[in-house]
Amino acid sequence: MTEQRSTSVSTKASRQLWGRPELYTSYGQNLRMLNTRPKQVAVVAMVLLAATYVPFGLPDEWLHLFAMGLAAAIGAIGLNIVTGYAGQVSLGHAFFLAIGAYTASALSGEPGRRTIGFGITFLPLWLLAAGVVAGVAGVIVAPLATRLRGLYLAIVTLGLVFLGLHIFKEWKALTGGPGVGRQGPVPEMFGQRLDRNGDLLTGDQKMYLLTLVLLVIFAVFARNLVRSKVGRAFAAVRDRDIAADVIGVSVTRYKVLAFGISSFYAGCAGALLYAVLGRVEPDSFNLLLSIQFVAMVLIGGAGTISGSIMGALFITMLPRLTQELPTVLPFISSDVTAPLGAANLAIIFYGLMIILFLIFEPRGLFGIWIRIRNYFKAWPFSY
Amino acid sequence: MTTFLQAVAGGLGQGSVYALLALGFVIIYKSMRVVSFAQPAFMLAGALAVSFLAEALLGIPSPWGFFLALVLGAVGVALLGLGIERTVIRPMVGKPVFVIAIITLGIDIVVRLVANIFIGLDVRPVGDPWGLNSINLGGVQVQERHIVMLVTTVLLVAVLFSFFKYSRLGLAMRAASFNQETALAQGISVGTVFATSWAMAGALAAVAGTFQATGAGIDQNLWIIGLKALPAIILGGLDSLGGAVIGGFTVGLVESLVATYQGDFAPWLGQNFSVVSAYVVMLLVLLVRPYGLFGTKEVERV
Amino acid sequence: MTSRTTQLLAGLSALALIATGCGRGDSGGGGGGGEGAVRTDVGVTAEPCKDTPNLTKGCIFLGTISDLTSGPFKALAVPITEAQKKFWERVNKSGGIDGYGVDVTTYVRDNKYNPETHNQVYQEIKSKVLGLAQTLGSPTTAAIIGDLGDNNIVSVPASWTSAWAFEDVILESGTNYCLESMNAIDYAVEQFKPKSVMAVHYPGDYGEDAAAGAKVAAEKNGLTFEAVETASGQDNQAGAINAVNSKKPDLVILTTGPTDAAVIVGQTAARGFTGKYIGTSPTWNPGLLKSPAGPAFKALYLQSGPWETFTADTPGHKNMREILGAGVTGNDGYTAGWVWSYPLQAALKKAVENKDLTREGLLKAVKQLDKVDYEGMLPASAGNFSGDANAGVVRETMIAKPDESSPTGVSTVKTFFVGPTAKDYKFDKPCFQS
Repeated sequence: MTEQRSTSVSTKASRQLWGRPELYTSYGQNLRMLNTRPKQVAVVAMVLLAATYVPFGLPDEWLHLFAMGLAAAIGAIGLNIVTGYAGQVSLGHAFFLAIGAYTASALSGEPGRRTIGFGITFLPLWLLAAGVVAGVAGVIVAPLATRLRGLYLAIVTLGLVFLGLHIFKEWKALTGGPGVGRQGPVPEMFGQRLDRNGDLLTGDQKMYLLTLVLLVIFAVFARNLVRSKVGRAFAAVRDRDIAADVIGVSVTRYKVLAFGISSFYAGCAGALLYAVLGRVEPDSFNLLLSIQFVAMVLIGGAGTISGSIMGALFITMLPRLTQELPTVLPFISSDVTAPLGAANLAIIFYGLMIILFLIFEPRGLFGIWIRIRNYFKAWPFSY
Repeated sequence: MTTFLQAVAGGLGQGSVYALLALGFVIIYKSMRVVSFAQPAFMLAGALAVSFLAEALLGIPSPWGFFLALVLGAVGVALLGLGIERTVIRPMVGKPVFVIAIITLGIDIVVRLVANIFIGLDVRPVGDPWGLNSINLGGVQVQERHIVMLVTTVLLVAVLFSFFKYSRLGLAMRAASFNQETALAQGISVGTVFATSWAMAGALAAVAGTFQATGAGIDQNLWIIGLKALPAIILGGLDSLGGAVIGGFTVGLVESLVATYQGDFAPWLGQNFSVVSAYVVMLLVLLVRPYGLFGTKEVERV
Repeated sequence: MTSRTTQLLAGLSALALIATGCGRGDSGGGGGGGEGAVRTDVGVTAEPCKDTPNLTKGCIFLGTISDLTSGPFKALAVPITEAQKKFWERVNKSGGIDGYGVDVTTYVRDNKYNPETHNQVYQEIKSKVLGLAQTLGSPTTAAIIGDLGDNNIVSVPASWTSAWAFEDVILESGTNYCLESMNAIDYAVEQFKPKSVMAVHYPGDYGEDAAAGAKVAAEKNGLTFEAVETASGQDNQAGAINAVNSKKPDLVILTTGPTDAAVIVGQTAARGFTGKYIGTSPTWNPGLLKSPAGPAFKALYLQSGPWETFTADTPGHKNMREILGAGVTGNDGYTAGWVWSYPLQAALKKAVENKDLTREGLLKAVKQLDKVDYEGMLPASAGNFSGDANAGVVRETMIAKPDESSPTGVSTVKTFFVGPTAKDYKFDKPCFQS
């Protein structure tokens, strides 16, 4: 990342041709963050659209959902780092989300209430703390991961979720107890509540913009990480850990690092997600939440940052989208209690989506995008 | 002492449910090296099928009508397992095990939801003849259902083990689990082995689910019990049938004893610590033995 | 990172922040109208409801947030929601609210009895409804109570927490868990003279409210008291079962959901417990008699409630059964949903009379209600929302016992009464506040 390299890269990039998205003219270009011109244009356009049109063109209700999806995307990127890039299957993501959510809630909570609160409402502070505490927890858990492999690890991390659930249910001073919960983290910056309607912007608009900015930061950081030495070490550990060891990659060190970073992301995501939601209930950090994050990674496409974002948005929107289904497909009942009503359908969709994606498009939404792109790239000879 | 024996009796009864579930997990794992997270759903589906069948077979004198329903229900879920293996799992053979494991999670969600629709709003009685009756064995109150569960489980385990020891198919399954390619070369149909293992796991889960539902009825959350078998199989070792049975009973006993005594001796662990005690035991065992008590250590080749 | 991308991303982040410059204007829309017209704001449209085109003045949208699919109270919540639908259908058939139709079916959402989900679906519908025809659960409603108050959203709770009496926007009917438990204990003292009481309860405003009332009554009657908290879910009851079996209280006040009640009552009885249980109304479900715990319920269980069960013969009960039709199996969810709807109807009527059907106007109308016609389903004094809580609160409770011949599985053993504890209790703050 020296100045010298970046200048050499930009001169090469200028020679790049349109319509040849996978043409790399140098190794340096291949390694760049946005390594092709179409990617640069597309990402810039998407972020611009997300920052300008979406918050002012869409109703608050949808912004609320988008904010949740963007916050979840940070968590999904985190899970992707440990599972997609470093190959360590974790079903324990819910546990780290919980640690982040509760660290932030406790720090920002009002002092002197039924639940612990320190009154530190300054957002960057509690966000960082949430990430750090969760990250430390990840590092503590990681030694287990270095001892265990594959499905043993998956089941142990699942055990972590159950143990965490028990602790959070019992620790009422922190969590408010099951079925009751407590107020989520209070997002405040420079004396302004970000989740309340202000003079200029509604609470949902502010929260949406906040999660968007943070997601961009976290995504850039993750993309930088995986294209660096660390990222290649992760891939080596994932693909064949003994071989990695032989060529001098410290497997233990990188597994611990992967867990730590992934948990840091999860902690921040948990804090943000519940700042958007407004209420944290200990029972929600269950296995289903972990599965939802695994689904985000898999449906989005394991081992891709943009895939994690797509997956997270998709999974977060799914329940809401199925609610809209009855207006399009009249045979689906809009009655919530009906057997094939919207509520049940949303859950069935999760299941089917996971099954179908894994069978037919293991690369996930990202893979579908690649296919569409290839179709047009080869046009008119696309068959 | 009575309290202790009572706790042991309850633990063995509950442990038989875990043992049956754990056997199903291990049988599938041995055949395809995959942990099937669909077991909880099969368990729920089995209990539900039995409850409907028991209602239909009310004419047959108790308890034979219920046992017939149990057999039919187990066969039904075995067929369901067979069908799912054929349509969803078979195309995935050769893909990374984790991907298949996640697919089974998807199956679990779908099957469970369909089952939920049939359960309806009220708690559904499973139709067993024992209810919460208990008999007095030398001063210890033992629930009848626990005795039936234990006896049935012991019988099933005996049948299973002799199946693996003496029958052609059982031997084929063992051979395939030892080395799939060699088994294939010896003329063993690996496809049949996969199908049989899924059917057996389905049937075992159905029996386990039915047993779990005696006493309180079928509720949408019945499936959570299915996940308790996971610590049991990790304890025993993922690929050990005997380990699964021992692990299952251990988990049952630990839970029951913790529930009885923890409130007096370690109340600070929280009220329902017994629910998670199995996971704690699992973690402790894994710290010492990463492949469980009876599991085979994997040899890594590069 | 290359310097160019750094600049770009920094620029974009800045843009997102600068974008805050062009904000969204005042979103409060609609309303107005000429001289003498009814003022409206959120949740009331000028077009008639789609089901009642004949009520041409407009349509009042009310939201429902209930436990409809997977929570512990689903068996109660579905009939509650159904009864409310029929109640408002009846209102619409008899001319609506002075020419306005009422729509309670468009915005029905499931909360899974989870405060988090509750808040989420509430955020989803709050900008589209005038008020809430139902918000089920105490801890769930507690999660949105601040927002309800801030926005003047008048709501009907599907719960009986004592804190509701102190919230202006909440239209509670019948006595609360706190006073009900006092009455239950007074009744038990009179009937079978217990020496020790244990409250086995869910956490939060539902269970802890009842436990607080039970404690007051136990102290007043000189009984030993102990509270045991238990979370919902069949596999979470081991602690409660062991507590009951080892302490062997003479009386247990049970405030859980039906499934968990079946596990607790069934398993404790199977291990030889012979004391009495009195459960608050959300604890009961007719299906319990058919469960394996059925015999235990018949032997040990009594049921307290804020009004008479489904089969009673007050005019209100009769109307309800007639409208629901013969195809319905009795369930006190219907009764509850029906009773709860009366005060909201009265408030809406008053608001239209006042020519102010805005959220604020509706709240003003609620504060003017000093009596609601419950068609005999509650004591005549019930429905006073104008005065202070101590004066307005309903203190009457009835007691029922399991009875297989009744469609709801229970029949009344003692009709409306107020025990000595509840009568003297000065109700000046919630028994439990989360």
